[in-house]
Amino acid sequence: VQAARNVQPSTNLVENVSQILTKPRLNDLVRDTDPTLILEEDIEEALLVYTDDFVTRILDGAAAIAKHRHVHTIEVKDVQQFLTRNYGIWAPGFGTDELRP
Amino acid sequence: GTQIRSCKEEFLLSMVPLQQRIRSALAKKGLEEPSNEVAAVISHAVQERLKNLIEKLAIITEHRLEMVKS
Repeated sequence: VQAARNVQPSTNLVENVSQILTKPRLNDLVRDTDPTLILEEDIEEALLVYTDDFVTRILDGAAAIAKHRHVHTIEVKDVQQFLTRNYGIWAPGFGTDELRP
Repeated sequence: GTQIRSCKEEFLLSMVPLQQRIRSALAKKGLEEPSNEVAAVISHAVQERLKNLIEKLAIITEHRLEMVKS
């Protein structure tokens, strides 16, 4: 999978209108996180590819949990369970009883 | 249930492509389309993850610059 990705020209990522994360949005996040940090283009590309992989992993993980529950689709709680277990990320979501202080 | 939203939500990810992505990934596994809240949670999670990576990159860069100076 990794090799196939590398073959794909990087310009595809930039020009692809259906991409889930754009470079301007990524740079907004970088600015909010550390205003002194400037990302080189290679790093931007790597983070966009990483984002893509991460979303795939979330969907695979949540789908596995949902299938375990014998339901027809994934719910917010499936995604949250996957993220907490595997990444220690608490992602706020609606549709759950849990509320963060 | 009651939904409480104190401010307009802004997402890091582009919601329409993300929802398409979710739909097709789940369809391949024989699952139906989930609620839009799932896309919102995924966007928040990606934001957290990238923020964490960016913070680490910033620390590494700082160390590298210190090494150059000394």
